[in-house]
Amino acid sequence: MASPRTERPGIGGAIPRFSWKGSLAVLVVLGLTGYSVTGTNFNIVELIRGTGAAERFVSEMFPPDLSAATLRATGTGILETFQMSFLGALLGAVVAFPLSALGTQQISTVGASRGERLRRAVPYHLSRTLLNVFRSVPDILWALVFVVALGLGPFPGTLALAVHSAGVLGKLYSETLEAVPSRPVEALAATGASGFQTFLFGRLPQAMSGFTSLTLYQWECNIRSATILGFVGAGGIGQQILISMNLFDYPKVATLVGATIIVVLIVDRFSAAIRQRLAY
Amino acid sequence: MQGISLENVSVGFGGVKALSGATLGVEAGEQLAVIGASGAGKSTLFRALNRSVALGGGRVAVGGHDLYALPRRRLNELRRRIGTIYQAYNLVPQLPAGVNVSLGEVGGMGGLGTLRTFLAGPGAGLSKKVGAALEEVGLGGKAGVRTADLSGGQQQRVAVARLLVQRPDFILADEPFAAVDPVTTERVLQTLLHLNREGATLLVNLHDVEIARRFPRIVALREGSVAFDGPPERLTEDALAEIYAGDSSATADEEAFDLSELRRGLERSMRLTEGRDGVSSH
Repeated sequence: MASPRTERPGIGGAIPRFSWKGSLAVLVVLGLTGYSVTGTNFNIVELIRGTGAAERFVSEMFPPDLSAATLRATGTGILETFQMSFLGALLGAVVAFPLSALGTQQISTVGASRGERLRRAVPYHLSRTLLNVFRSVPDILWALVFVVALGLGPFPGTLALAVHSAGVLGKLYSETLEAVPSRPVEALAATGASGFQTFLFGRLPQAMSGFTSLTLYQWECNIRSATILGFVGAGGIGQQILISMNLFDYPKVATLVGATIIVVLIVDRFSAAIRQRLAY
Repeated sequence: MQGISLENVSVGFGGVKALSGATLGVEAGEQLAVIGASGAGKSTLFRALNRSVALGGGRVAVGGHDLYALPRRRLNELRRRIGTIYQAYNLVPQLPAGVNVSLGEVGGMGGLGTLRTFLAGPGAGLSKKVGAALEEVGLGGKAGVRTADLSGGQQQRVAVARLLVQRPDFILADEPFAAVDPVTTERVLQTLLHLNREGATLLVNLHDVEIARRFPRIVALREGSVAFDGPPERLTEDALAEIYAGDSSATADEEAFDLSELRRGLERSMRLTEGRDGVSSH
């Protein structure tokens, strides 16, 4: 079927080439780019001029300090980071699970009375709000809060990771629970199963492999985050990196950073392999 | 025990009427086949019978209870007496077959019983029932197999075993044979008829008119209301053409399509599957 547009010779074809919406979007992106470039003093020339200093910094890192004392300190830092990230993910998962269960929208509200709907809405919104607070505050800010409250060390760092992980996992868990195929769940509800029962036997088994995969991924993220938390005094290898930087001990920094990269890569690979198995 | 009655029932999905003014009475213990073109409202009718859809108007009574007026707790009590099986089985694929079967009794478990079953599996009494039910549908020894690893026909038999554990007073079977082979069809049908002889009211939603003819009463839906209600003898080819006329999936030329031709084709395709299911088990 020919549209009227094609019958008019000259301007345009069957595909419209100009649209106000498209042009507006381009203008908005361009405008925001300019606004942000001025706001951040973004300057390529300065970046190129700065390469000299960066080169000096990098060349001073080599050769890396591989003395026994440094290696021992690196090992301790890495282990601490590992422990923080693992415990953070685990505690986060434990807190996230019940909250996500409450924060999952029920399907069968057919014919439910207003009071019933309200009774369901209250825990839903409470848990969602709590999870949003946990998640929207970055872990490094949580670390600052806990360092102030509990002092320096890996314990406040672990707590920071746990709280942030709980927020992230809770949201992802409840999204997984809501996204499982609903027919088996409805079939259970149709034979008189309560909300709790349809959750346990209908939603949860279908979401379980997703949960495991998400938790592993959160652990991966925690390893990366845990290396930074040391910068605010919350333990782990980051604390050692900061101290060595302040002492201008760049060879030691090189060892610490190199070890961090290796560990992050190993954990990434390991977790990705397991997650791939789960996804079959 | 009272049966099922629908009075002037309407159900709409965003402006599209799936049921409009459907009225139907079913005696307790009766067996009834429901036929109709796709989009005629068959599945919606079944969903209205266990309050899985919102009602636009009318009244649905099951076992003497006004279904849509019941509070949640009473509704669940009534639903425990309504058993359902579906075209797509609708089992929980990750659970072992035996656990899926035991879920026929889940409505009757208390909070603690539910937790115990979830953590430790079904208790001794229930396990025995589950074993017997699986034996009855020819799946003895499959209790521990992950449901997703069973074939489609086997999954439908698991669904029937769940029904056997539930022992409902009303059975709603929504296209139970649409995705299974002829052997499974016969087997499932016999089990359903057996439950009916024991007193359960049986409603089966069918696309296969030949199977429907084996029921003493056939109800046909057309555009959301009852277009035919009577014994199979009265269901003439003319009446069938009327029921399936204007099938949303058919064009004007195909309106007077030859049903026997379609049936032959179906049988042929069923034979080709050699007893395996026509639908993958995901």
